[in-house]
Amino acid sequence: MTDSLRCPGMRDLLPGDMERFRRLEDTFRQVCLGWGYGEVRTPTIEHLHLFTAAGTLSPQMLERVYSFLDWDGWSGERVVLRPDSTIPVARLYREQFASAPVTRLFYVQSVLRFAEGDASREDWQCGVELIGDTQPSGDIELILMASEVLSRLGLPAELKLSDPGILRSLFSAAGLDSEKQLALYDRVLDGDLSALDDVQAALPGAGASLAALLALEGENAAYLGNLRTEIGPSISGIDPVLDELASISDVLSHLELAHRIAPVLVRDFEYYTGPVFYLYVDGQKVGGGGRYDALVSVGDRGSPASGFALDMDALMPLLSGLPSAATGLTTVRPKADDTASLRAAFELARSLRAAGVRVEVGDKTLAPGDVQVVASDAGFELRNNGAEPTSLETVDETVRAIAKSSS
Amino acid sequence: MIKIALPAGDLRPPIGRLLSSCGLRVEGYAEGSRSYRLAVEGREDVAARVFREKDIPIQVALGNYDLGVCSLAWVKEIQARFKQRAIVPLRDLELGALSLVAMGATSACDRLDKLGSLPVVRIASDYPNLADAFAKSARLARYRVQGVWGAAEAYPPEDADVAIVAVSNPDALSERGLAPLFELLHSSVWLIGNVASLGRRDLSSVLNLFNAANGNGAQPAEVSFPTRADTLGASVPLSTGERDMLRLAIPDGHQQRHVQGALEAAGLLFDGYNGSTPARRPRTDVDGLEVKVIRPHDMPQLVAAGEVDVAITGRDCLMEHLYSFPSSPAAEVLDLQRGQYNLAAVVGESLPANTIGEVMDLWRHEGRDVLRIASEFPATADHYARSRHFWRYQVISIAGASEGFVPEDADLLIEGTETGKTLVENKLKVIDLLYRSTTCVIANKNASLQRRKRIVYDELLTRLRRVSEVPESV
Repeated sequence: MTDSLRCPGMRDLLPGDMERFRRLEDTFRQVCLGWGYGEVRTPTIEHLHLFTAAGTLSPQMLERVYSFLDWDGWSGERVVLRPDSTIPVARLYREQFASAPVTRLFYVQSVLRFAEGDASREDWQCGVELIGDTQPSGDIELILMASEVLSRLGLPAELKLSDPGILRSLFSAAGLDSEKQLALYDRVLDGDLSALDDVQAALPGAGASLAALLALEGENAAYLGNLRTEIGPSISGIDPVLDELASISDVLSHLELAHRIAPVLVRDFEYYTGPVFYLYVDGQKVGGGGRYDALVSVGDRGSPASGFALDMDALMPLLSGLPSAATGLTTVRPKADDTASLRAAFELARSLRAAGVRVEVGDKTLAPGDVQVVASDAGFELRNNGAEPTSLETVDETVRAIAKSSS
Repeated sequence: MIKIALPAGDLRPPIGRLLSSCGLRVEGYAEGSRSYRLAVEGREDVAARVFREKDIPIQVALGNYDLGVCSLAWVKEIQARFKQRAIVPLRDLELGALSLVAMGATSACDRLDKLGSLPVVRIASDYPNLADAFAKSARLARYRVQGVWGAAEAYPPEDADVAIVAVSNPDALSERGLAPLFELLHSSVWLIGNVASLGRRDLSSVLNLFNAANGNGAQPAEVSFPTRADTLGASVPLSTGERDMLRLAIPDGHQQRHVQGALEAAGLLFDGYNGSTPARRPRTDVDGLEVKVIRPHDMPQLVAAGEVDVAITGRDCLMEHLYSFPSSPAAEVLDLQRGQYNLAAVVGESLPANTIGEVMDLWRHEGRDVLRIASEFPATADHYARSRHFWRYQVISIAGASEGFVPEDADLLIEGTETGKTLVENKLKVIDLLYRSTTCVIANKNASLQRRKRIVYDELLTRLRRVSEVPESV
């Protein structure tokens, strides 16, 4: 076996993949357009400094970006292959839409980040950005949109809500600076729940079950009530966080959208500033989003913003059981390589396509259900479903016969 | 055969002594032999090859050499960009102690907590990957890394805010107007190994010699980086107003002799611009002129960025810059007609082909999959490979000692040759000529010099133009 010429971590999308890709993209676009969003696409290359400022990409993520000096980069300032879509959309918003009170944008594009071995280095995303003062309805809108996409695709989704503000408030109250907060948060995300015991020990006013409750996934707003009781009244800044989550949970319950609440969930702790949600299908994460008010600013003024992205690479394999659009193809075969047969074949193919029939000109082997027409200057021979061939004289006659057989 | 890569330069005598004390007597190494491939006395199973120190971790990481000896700082520089564990530091040889330090000018950015207040932080370093990691760790909102071929300490404050340099005594730099901001690494010379070689080849007959001679079992130091909090607090007063001095950069290294001759012939005497270690800022009595000595490779970028108004460098360096940045405003304004040499494509003497066409035919016939091109001018080599329609190729960017690369470590060199004598000595031959390079004056074609700077510039060019019309005396 020879080595592939494909670069590690890069994927070819074959016709079957592209069918699923388009199905997903089309469904996503229809939902976004239906909610009043406009489609954008940002450039593949951006300035690196958009992503390096604090509060944007984490240092771990920055280590994986594809950055380089462009052909005019003699100043030494680097550019980068788009490693994230939210930050470029925030840039686009600042430059094009900053005067609008609320901007609703969506995109379908890839992000490029280094991964070891042959793990994917180019990930396609369907993403949405909602910029402007839309809270609390904006968070609910995004959750409903993401859920609607999955529902229209026929995928049963599990929804989880969180807010990094819960742990951020607790860690601050426990006297941890921002670096220690990050380190502790990473430990918790990696499954080391004993890290929460340290926090509880530093918060004598908290109830004994605080750490246990934080490690739980609650089913509705009642869980948040229990958490509030255990945290106690002394943690500054936590009440608005819990109130906001409770409000979202209440509306989702009213709309019969099942969800769970998990305080320890969010990977991008630095990035998100408000409620966050993740979607799972068969236990696999397929998308998520939340609020990141620090990312979008116009001049010195920050702008509230939130968004979500669906992971197309995770979703596409889940669509494999759906019916393929590749069926129902008619083949027109020139009887010989002479000019007259070719002329007849391409004339018939043009008329069939004009009549809405999908046509391939060639010599494909027939499978059950396939329709084939053999074309020559003497006329057309229709072969359908293994039945006896039918001879037809004109193009119109043949088009009508094929249209009838396919209906 | 166990292959070991050894550094050229000042480290030869102490490393040579250490190797001898281990029982590895590398013939001619400590004495500075001109040969790049050296035998090891009584050890037919060991071969040594001399490289520029910076190239050693790359050669060991590529697996071309099983073992290498170099400063830990160069290992960390590679690992800052390429995280994969292709190299492992094996033994601290307790030689060549250096500190890798971020320095700022005492007159400008003399404390780390001033960095956060700069709108753009300019960092000059021979260690661009570590400089990039430094900036990212500090979460600098905007920064530029100028990867240089040396003399980074000469950049602050005019051409950089921070220089990341390897120094044996950081305090000595305070005499040159620099203040240490942050120590990234305390480095020394290490024995390093290729991970794959250690996994499948028996290197113990060499490793044992080092273990017996050197009892230091220390772990390699980790690189430290500042956090965002470290860079916040104080502020740097931003300079306002236009400088009215013309800034001229002149080269050190092999071009110094030619440039010194041209300047003297033009009646321009720069006090301190002589000898093997010229002053970085030679004094001049030309009113309105500021002179700095830096590496010729780094000049076009400084001219393009507007940090330097005029520079005297080789056409090879300008072409390399223009192949990297085709729309750069750095341009040649005067050919000094000195320091002439040819940039050529070079292969091993024994290859039965004499032109690039014949060589390509031969390699195609042999079914060679990948062509390896080594050069100190990687963008030029890349351009050459594309223009000659090479099939799959690798450009190996090297810091020097290039003649030793062919045929074992590269198939082709893009190399400067003055008389051809060195090529013959190293069993090499020219198969194609890229261009003739001479020393030239370069400037920014988009710059519009005004008032005193214009007057000084015109005077400088007039004098140098006169010199260019007279052949260089050899």
